[in-house]
Amino acid sequence: MTEKNTPLLDELEKGKWPSFVTEIKRAAVKSEAAGELLQVLERSYKERRGHWKHGGIVGVRGYGGGVIGRYVDEPQTYPNVAEFHTVRLLQPSGWFYNTKTLRTVCDIWEKYGSGLTNMHGSTGDIILLGCKTEHIQPIFDEFSDAGFDLGGSGSCLRTPNCCVGPGRCEHACYDTLEACYNITNEFMDELHRPMWPYKSKIKFSGCANDCTSSIARSDCSVIGTWRDTLRIDQEAVKEYAAKINIKAAVCDKCPTSCLTFNAETQELSVVGEDCTRCMHCINVMPKAIQPGKEKGATILIGGKSTIVQSAFMSWVIVPFMKMEAEDDFAEFKDLMRRIWEWWDEHGKSRERIGETIYRLGMTKFLNGIEVAPVPQMVFRPRANPYVFWNQDDLDRSGTALDGSKL
Amino acid sequence: MAILDQGPPHYKKMLPPIVQENYGKWKYHEIPSPGVLKHVGESGAALYSVRVGTPRLVSIDFIRDVCVIADEYCDGFLRWTTRNNVEFLVSDEAKLKPLLEKLEAEGYSVGGTGRSVSNIVHTQGWVHCHTPATDASGVVKAVMDDLYEYFNTMKLPAKLKMGLACCLNMCGAAHCSDIAIVGVHRTPPRINHEVIRKGTEIPSLVASCPTGAIRPDPKNKSVIVNEDKCMYCGNCYTMSPAMEIYDPKNDGIAILIGGKTSNARTSPSFSRMVIPFLPNTAPRWPETTEAIRKIIELWIANANDGERVGEWVERIGWERFFTLAELPFSDMLIDDYIFSRETFRTSAQFKY
Amino acid sequence: MVFKMARGPADPEVKAKVLEYLGKVQKAKSRDVAVAIGASKSDVDNAVKELTAEDLVEYLYITTTFICLKGKVQTPD
Ligand code: HEM
Ligand code: HEM
Ligand code: HEM
Ligand code: SF4
Ligand code: SF4
Ligand code: SF4
Ligand code: SF4
Repeated sequence: MTEKNTPLLDELEKGKWPSFVTEIKRAAVKSEAAGELLQVLERSYKERRGHWKHGGIVGVRGYGGGVIGRYVDEPQTYPNVAEFHTVRLLQPSGWFYNTKTLRTVCDIWEKYGSGLTNMHGSTGDIILLGCKTEHIQPIFDEFSDAGFDLGGSGSCLRTPNCCVGPGRCEHACYDTLEACYNITNEFMDELHRPMWPYKSKIKFSGCANDCTSSIARSDCSVIGTWRDTLRIDQEAVKEYAAKINIKAAVCDKCPTSCLTFNAETQELSVVGEDCTRCMHCINVMPKAIQPGKEKGATILIGGKSTIVQSAFMSWVIVPFMKMEAEDDFAEFKDLMRRIWEWWDEHGKSRERIGETIYRLGMTKFLNGIEVAPVPQMVFRPRANPYVFWNQDDLDRSGTALDGSKL
Repeated sequence: MAILDQGPPHYKKMLPPIVQENYGKWKYHEIPSPGVLKHVGESGAALYSVRVGTPRLVSIDFIRDVCVIADEYCDGFLRWTTRNNVEFLVSDEAKLKPLLEKLEAEGYSVGGTGRSVSNIVHTQGWVHCHTPATDASGVVKAVMDDLYEYFNTMKLPAKLKMGLACCLNMCGAAHCSDIAIVGVHRTPPRINHEVIRKGTEIPSLVASCPTGAIRPDPKNKSVIVNEDKCMYCGNCYTMSPAMEIYDPKNDGIAILIGGKTSNARTSPSFSRMVIPFLPNTAPRWPETTEAIRKIIELWIANANDGERVGEWVERIGWERFFTLAELPFSDMLIDDYIFSRETFRTSAQFKY
Repeated sequence: MVFKMARGPADPEVKAKVLEYLGKVQKAKSRDVAVAIGASKSDVDNAVKELTAEDLVEYLYITTTFICLKGKVQTPD
């Protein structure tokens, strides 16, 4: 065990917020690699630079991802972290756990790895931080026996994730936990064997509060919504009226001004066709207002972070789709297959689907995936007349109105 | 033999009985005290979730510790949130108070609900990534220590969601946060021609650059970087360790604000840059913590009830924000990348 | 190796051609392999899936995913 000092990192054990330095030190009691990680990190703090190198090779038989190669830049000085790879494990939907399962993760990881984890990575996986190349296969084999599987990495479907949904949220408009589980299982090939131009992510949020930030963080955002009108329980409205200023806190903040509170009758009314289903009123008055009865999801495409063509937020391609476990989410799966096929055919290497659509045009994309255009897809129509008309639809006979040749 | 493609563990095995019984039948929720959510089902059943902050980078000892607590107070069930908090799921109300006392005694941080600052979604940084321009965990620790009073109370105008990404790849979805901390490199890679000649595959290296800044240099058996085109993303370093992107004196942090991903009231929006650069003053980044605190205090003093940072700034106007915040405005804050034009003011209306 | 055989077994002829092509290059994207050997990409992907399980081919992630013969491209040092 290295017994060197870490004066800079020790500064980060002070203060009230839980300290990652303390966590690395705890792991270092049992793991020499974790001890050396601390040394490398102290050096980074002193020199203000990183000391890790990227590595390409993933070592599990039959898979093209799930392990990310990581090497320290001075292996002679830090032999225990010369190889310090990341293993991604598929998390259970909604990050619910029983303690038995968590202890299994700990036991296997204690045997082979640094004892350090991220609960969880930004994509959603359980992240096991730091193991040697020779241990990758045994780690996988043991986790596999214990009922776990690897998550995605590389140019593949990355690990889908979802909000807590019907597990503990009154707002959920579809079963996000089941959708995530079922759809992840459906696309195991796409997840484990990278075959696309670049990575692709799906996130499932049960309503427009979008707790998974799917619109910003996933190529395909599945956001719960309803098709009819939200439901108001007037008795519960009266209870709220005694506690909050409904006009100020709810009606005045409704973006479409479609809510009216009648102070005399103490009743709240909504102009259903004007409501854009933003969730604000429901968030403030969950006991009194709930989504309509016809529930499903809006499907949006194209979200991604800044690299390369700027950050994109996903945009609407299907305003309303039923998301039912009973029909096995068939419509959604079918749509995703068409979308990926189009992207796989037209996308350039390292181009996210949003960028491919932007480069080639929404029209080509919609035609390619056979989805009809609807006004819900855009904030407003185009401001220029430069339409690429489909010439096959036009009279190209080259004749004037009287039939003479032009 | 290992089974391939068996998928994630089934979530149903992870749900406490009260969740199974009330699945999809929750009626409403309240926040009885900071860090405690009370979800009530149509049946009248109540589930208490106690939210505890974690550093995200945790040891298996930490996981085992929270398992012991979950066994004692939650019949062995707990969950994690998207923002790396742990939630203890208490179905027996009698156990709530003892749990809170236990957590207090053991020094856990309970909070992050409602009008508070929740845990900062963040990335790997110097701990484990190859292209970071700053650390992730350390900056988060310093900022959360400073903002702790807003984590375990609910006295902000609205919720505050923060993100940190340690390089331009922005793994951490910082681009749509109320306040985003982004690590920035500011100098092009230094080329180690020796290392390139020893075996870097030049076509792959050239192809790795998103802006086409790298050209082969056949005479030298190496490459040339067109410095005007380089946006310091570090992708080339991923491809070859010969392209050293780190630069201790010039790497640092940019602050962006006003993004959100929820649709409530206003549409989701991107965070916008308000401070182009702060130095990497490890180990506690005082310039960064101070800059963030100032912005938050300004927001508290000026926002209407329930207004998120971005809603507030959009209401008063960004030009007004810069005046109030006494932040210098510079050409670095005017977009000159691909979709810049939408940010130019095509109107004669503005404030000072 | 136990698979959930979603697509059915791969075409042995395609597998042979993939191996032959990968023998000639350092590494390749599966789309390029498909074009080079005149097979459909999904057939190549399916063949690669079996070849990786048989330990003959492996995936590489160097800013994007490539395939190569097992052991052909060395880890950086
Ligand atoms: C060429 C560009 C990129 C490269 C080379 C890259 C590389 C990496 C690497 C090596 C990791 C693993 C870090 C570790 O665990 O040690 C990682 C994680 C991740 N990347 Fe990227 N990345 C790139 C672009 C992006 C982009 C554009 C996004 C988002 C839209 C993104 C999202 C993520 C996320 C969410 C993680 C998980 C981070 C975490 O768990 O903290 N990456 N990336
Ligand atoms: C192929 C496309 C177009 C051509 C060839 C064209 C051509 C012209 C011409 C020749 C003029 C008259 C300039 C003058 O007064 O000397 C003009 C004026 C104008 N055009 Fe266009 N234009 C096109 C598209 C558009 C579009 C798409 C818009 C708006 C969305 C637009 C908006 C205007 C406006 C506002 C004026 C000024 C009218 C005024 O004097 O009040 N044009 N355009
Ligand atoms: C007034 C509006 C909102 C209400 C009432 C609300 C309600 C909630 C509730 C009840 C949870 C807990 C869900 C669970 O059981 O895990 C939650 C979590 C969350 N919410 Fe919201 N939400 C609102 C707005 C937003 C917005 C605007 C965002 C993002 C920009 C957001 C992001 C999140 C995230 C990321 C979580 C995950 C849990 C965590 O923070 O630890 N929420 N929200
Ligand atoms: S996205 Fe909606 S349904 Fe899902 S947890 Fe958040 S508020 Fe609940
Ligand atoms: S959901 Fe939003 S738009 Fe609809 S009534 Fe409520 S506040 Fe208004
Ligand atoms: S943001 Fe950049 S440096 Fe940070 S983990 Fe992601 S790729 Fe690595
Ligand atoms: S840092 Fe990025 S933009 Fe600059 S040369 Fe390298 S790959 Fe190209």
